Amino acid sequence: MPTDADIHRPLLVAVPVVALLTLTPLAALSMEALPVNVTITDKGCEPNSLIVTEGKSMFAIKNASRRALEWEILDGVMVVEERENIFPGFTQTLSANLSPGEYQMTCGLLNNPKGKLIVQAAATGGPTAPVSALDLAGPLAEYKLYVSSEVDALLADTQAFVAAINANDLAKAQALYAPARIHYERIEPVAELFSDLDKAIDVRADDFEKKEDDPGFVGFHKIEKLLFVDNNTAAAQQVAEQLTKDVQELHNRIHNLTIPAAKMVAGAADLIEEVAATKIAGEEDRYSHTDLWDFQGNIDGAQKIYTLLRPLAAKRNAAFVKRVDANFKQVDAILAKYKSGNGFVSYDKVQESDRKAMKGPITTLAEDLSTLRGQLGLE
Amino acid sequence: MTRRPGRGPKQRGAAPPNLSSRRSILKLGAAAGGVASFGIAAAAPTPAAQTDDTETAHQSQPFFGPHQSGIVTPQPAAATVVAFDVLAHDRADLERLFRTLTERIRFLMEGGPIAARDPLLPPPDSGLLGPVVVPDNLTVTVAVGESFFDGRFGLKHLKPKHLVRMTRFPNDALDASFCHGDLLIQICANREETVIHALRDIIKNMPDLLAVHWKIDGFLPADTVRRLGKETVRNLLGFKDGTANLAASDTELMNRHVWIQPGTDEPSWTAGGTYQVVRVIRNLVERWDRTPLNEQQKIIGRSKMSGAPLGADSEHDQFDYVGDPEGIRVPLTAHIRLANPRTPQTDVNLILRRPYNFSRGVNKNGQLDMGLLFVCFQSNLTSGFLAVQSRLNGEALEEYIKPVGGGYFFALPGVPTPDRFLGDVLLSA
Repeated sequence: MPTDADIHRPLLVAVPVVALLTLTPLAALSMEALPVNVTITDKGCEPNSLIVTEGKSMFAIKNASRRALEWEILDGVMVVEERENIFPGFTQTLSANLSPGEYQMTCGLLNNPKGKLIVQAAATGGPTAPVSALDLAGPLAEYKLYVSSEVDALLADTQAFVAAINANDLAKAQALYAPARIHYERIEPVAELFSDLDKAIDVRADDFEKKEDDPGFVGFHKIEKLLFVDNNTAAAQQVAEQLTKDVQELHNRIHNLTIPAAKMVAGAADLIEEVAATKIAGEEDRYSHTDLWDFQGNIDGAQKIYTLLRPLAAKRNAAFVKRVDANFKQVDAILAKYKSGNGFVSYDKVQESDRKAMKGPITTLAEDLSTLRGQLGLE
Repeated sequence: MTRRPGRGPKQRGAAPPNLSSRRSILKLGAAAGGVASFGIAAAAPTPAAQTDDTETAHQSQPFFGPHQSGIVTPQPAAATVVAFDVLAHDRADLERLFRTLTERIRFLMEGGPIAARDPLLPPPDSGLLGPVVVPDNLTVTVAVGESFFDGRFGLKHLKPKHLVRMTRFPNDALDASFCHGDLLIQICANREETVIHALRDIIKNMPDLLAVHWKIDGFLPADTVRRLGKETVRNLLGFKDGTANLAASDTELMNRHVWIQPGTDEPSWTAGGTYQVVRVIRNLVERWDRTPLNEQQKIIGRSKMSGAPLGADSEHDQFDYVGDPEGIRVPLTAHIRLANPRTPQTDVNLILRRPYNFSRGVNKNGQLDMGLLFVCFQSNLTSGFLAVQSRLNGEALEEYIKPVGGGYFFALPGVPTPDRFLGDVLLSA
């Protein structure tokens, strides 16, 4: 065993205790392109923790200690690789082919702390080549048409809805509430590009500390509360007037908008996240219980995007397309059970078992569609 | 985890035949000089390298065995109990659920490098524990509830004999959003991050099979494992809780009180499993803290500081109530006396408790929402928890506690070998 005398023996050769290149432990280094530098001092390894990617790595080991040493990569008690006889002041290299896992490295004296060498798994499958702009041009043009027609319908139906409010026709206004909103829900990822208007049109009371009493609570849901809880069309008129202006403004802006391809692709996942996070518990339309309209709107919007991109995705991952098709089908089947006339029954009527049954396909769609962008090779 | 180093690893100590003479001399010289500079005994721990933190992070519990881990396993500091709805449609889905659970739990408990994929895609791991998952004493214990046997999977006839849906006891105020569940997963580890990492992994890998129903987190002092057998943990009432608990390390005792044995009147697939009870018991701590010490001690039956039974000298004194039939020393309504009357007749009621403390926030009146996440295991639910709780009904402590959630479950037998999976005995029964 080393004794104090050994360790504290006066320096015979002054060796600068400096790491030539300090590696940030978080930077994953890989392959033989760049050697991974490690300096051994009398105290230990500098740095004391390395991260490399699985496969071949080249290590450059500089002996900045006072005695010859050997440098080892250990897996428990097994020596995986070693470089012997590195004399003070010299640097030697070691090439190692490592599998993922956590290893230790020896750092000179036995009582020096062992260093940690983490070998990360390499990404499987390699990088995905992006789909060409040409391939995306068709789906994008068609999506633009879809968004335009939905925002046209949103404007027209909102104007009809507001007209009923202004005519103090409560029953008609209540009946027109959900059909007007569904257009908004279908194109929500695009509408949300304009956060000022999104807040003015679709904000919920939850976003305010004073909830329903907050003066900032406006738009569709404020009117919903006034119509379905307070039965008060007169009080809704002022809010409705502003809503018409905001929807008109949204309409104008969307018609002048170039939808970025990545935004469209990501939109499918955004819409499903919307369903997963807020629709299943029935909190979106808590005053009117018309949640199923919004639910359908989000699903329609996601399905539209998916359908347009499906041929591109199918070429790359047939199993993915099969699974997504099946899950959309399951959701459609459950929603179909609750159709009534041109719309849906109240969300109160949706059985607990169906709310539960909805969670599986919705969450799976959320997981799957979250990969759509990457599968098409888009940032 | 399989490691395939480029060159075959060699066992340290087993001298390779082609050892260069120069190296031998060098090592000899070094050894003779008293400087073991080359790590000759690499297997010996190097004290400076092993801080407490890395030591506990690498502690692991076995995944394979006749029983699941997390039942007789010493309790690490962090826990979560999560009840799920099972979304599987048929037996094939169910098998996929249990096989996936087995695969994920095994990986999480053993640790290893996380999978990586194209950064254009969401990463498969939350990354919460870094590039290499450490075991950190993780246990993930899977149990099924009464509703799991409701007939949708054709398993009705295989329901453990005593498994019932939890019903209200007189002092309960059950909140439906914290009760029951098709499947219960109890996750324990040294650190909360490890628990959360495991939970997120499980949720992410089974989106079409499991939906979270409710969840509650529990905690114990960080050094609970280290002080096991030396010091009893206190609950949030400030009393030592678990002094007279069954010794989980006593295999014979566990076989008698916890594990279902083969050849009983239970369905044969249950052998090696155990009934698990979870009760979320709010402690009304403000009121408790405004109760005189003597009264607190009479309610529990122990001295608050020492943990000794009233009238005894120390916490672990062996005693019974034969000499105290009137409850002069330990009142007849004291919690410990009702819970365990220490008679030969009540030996059959003994259960293995594995509780955690919980703390969630405040209620509408500004009072603290905290208490005991009670968990216990027993081979017979009826003569175990149900009998004990019936004796406790009306106990003096009720004024200060409010059970608000939980459920009864059956913890599946263990996975004995890598070719098997959780619940396989049930699915093939």
